[in-house]
Amino acid sequence: MTDGIELLAGFLAAAVRVATPLLLAATGETISERGGVINLGIEGSMLAGALAAAIGSSAGGPWSGLAAALIAGATLAAVFALVSVHAGADQIIAGTAITLGAVGLTGAVYRAYYGTAGAGLSIPTLAPVEVPVLAEIPLLGAALFAQPLTTYFAVALVPATWWYLFRTRGGLALRAAGESADGARAAGVRVRATRTLAVVAGGALAGLAGATLVLAQVGTFSERMTAGRGFIAIAIVVLGRWHPGGVLVAALFFGAATALQFVFQASGTAVPYQLFLMLPYVLALLGLAGAVGRVRAPRDLGRPERAS
Amino acid sequence: MRGLLTRLCCIGVVSLSLFSCDRPAPDSSSSFRVALITPGSIADAAWNSGAYAGLLRIRDSLGASVSHVEALTPAAQEEALRSYAAQGFDIIFANGFEFQEPAERVARTYPDAVFVVNSGSRAAGKVIPLVFRIEEATYLAGMVAGGLSRSGIIGFVGGVELPPVRRGERGWTNGARAVNPAIASRVTYLNNWEDAASGREAALALLRLGADMLHHNADAAALGAFQAVKETEGAYIFGANADQSSLAPDRVVGSAVIDLAHAFLLVAREVRGGTLRSEAKSFGLAGDVLRFVPNPRLAGVVPAALSARVRAAADSIASGRLDPLRGEEPGP
Repeated sequence: MTDGIELLAGFLAAAVRVATPLLLAATGETISERGGVINLGIEGSMLAGALAAAIGSSAGGPWSGLAAALIAGATLAAVFALVSVHAGADQIIAGTAITLGAVGLTGAVYRAYYGTAGAGLSIPTLAPVEVPVLAEIPLLGAALFAQPLTTYFAVALVPATWWYLFRTRGGLALRAAGESADGARAAGVRVRATRTLAVVAGGALAGLAGATLVLAQVGTFSERMTAGRGFIAIAIVVLGRWHPGGVLVAALFFGAATALQFVFQASGTAVPYQLFLMLPYVLALLGLAGAVGRVRAPRDLGRPERAS
Repeated sequence: MRGLLTRLCCIGVVSLSLFSCDRPAPDSSSSFRVALITPGSIADAAWNSGAYAGLLRIRDSLGASVSHVEALTPAAQEEALRSYAAQGFDIIFANGFEFQEPAERVARTYPDAVFVVNSGSRAAGKVIPLVFRIEEATYLAGMVAGGLSRSGIIGFVGGVELPPVRRGERGWTNGARAVNPAIASRVTYLNNWEDAASGREAALALLRLGADMLHHNADAAALGAFQAVKETEGAYIFGANADQSSLAPDRVVGSAVIDLAHAFLLVAREVRGGTLRSEAKSFGLAGDVLRFVPNPRLAGVVPAALSARVRAAADSIASGRLDPLRGEEPGP
């Protein structure tokens, strides 16, 4: 019985761990897409954030790592905004280019900084922080309320983003820019500036998501280590219907499916492991299929503002 | 105009990233030219970094001029083979099982180049596979794990389920069973070589479900497994492909090591001497390319009787009396 609860607690903790970087990146992408910009470059921002976190932490401890990751993610997003929001380039192509470029760039910088021997497991990491009282809850407390700070930040960001999007003037302007750039401009919204800020904020959060992988999980960097998490985050935005709360649920759902996949494989059944590897993606597809018809993207998503 | 500029920018960034090249000290004066293509980063502290070390050793020992490129996708891999062959390289090392068929295709157009496919499957003209019988070393690692495991459960984290990876896992499992027939061997595949965070989650799930001895063949993704073992009391891990004791000096019991650099040098010498024959070059414990390397810092953890059994099994394997894939009981 106790064993069962312990396994459940371990599983929940794993689900939260897997979900955290996805939640951070997806919340950032929600802000960007609410403003009308779909940024496929967040995979690149995430990877750049991971490397920046590694280098920053090696040089000046985990907090420097977090700061470096925010800056790296935001910088790539700023380049993307320059090309797509200001020059009006196709957002899908520009975002893909940013991601592919980040793969090459991070590989080159990683080797220049750490050499071909790599960073090993020497990078200083963020220690888990226990929430007083809640962490005392038997079994589940230690699993859910003894997480790295980035996890608490990711969760706190959900209501904050909701409040910003739906309860502030700035949020209203952002959503107006996403629904109808022309209408928003007529109403006096500076569409390009608004979109640029949204994209850069989204990139910074993607960078933080990458930092989570390095500083709160693995303790090292490996090339291409984000392994498509940025793209999964984009799917999670759709699954969560461009709503911060929905995104939280979708990220946890995907985290749980992934954690379950590892439990299934590790328990040594005769079922082919490929089926388990597919599980999170199949569930995500089913979720997306179920959402069709009842969900609408921001109307001007992916459309550059036309100069007039 | 502005649109064109943006598009050019995009194309530039994309092409920059498709091939990340390292050209260590290109020396055009040397007439012996050797190239290496890796399917992943050479900073993985394992399979690809070993190959890169091999390339550098050929440069230093034989004075060859060398070149290296990473090619991740099947299309890029064939293109890289073709490109090196067209440039007239004498030997093209392709670091992985997945290069076998592309190399055979390209070899038809370029009959002069020697293609060496690491972990390849068959010899075809000048396409020469290097076969590393990794199962011989992982069998020994498995024996130690089987002897040390308190829970009776051992775990293996694999990158992609390629034949050499599966053989390594079979050796590991059979070795553990030779010492403890009741051992349960669990296997998790990640389906990639890079995702270290998934490597950590896979390892943590195995440890949670009772495994206390882990092994891997997942290149850079395995870094996460080492991290998971470091965080978990009473857990140990065995390195693969390179001596990985330094990753977690108190938790790595030993490593199944392939001395790729040594194998590369042997092959390059044969090519230069004109003695290379069209046959698979197979390396096992009998040569000095493959070894099980214990971590000296944890020598006290392994009982002397177990160490003696492992040494005896190593002799049996090297002399062909014990097949690690069949997993017979090692002789006393």
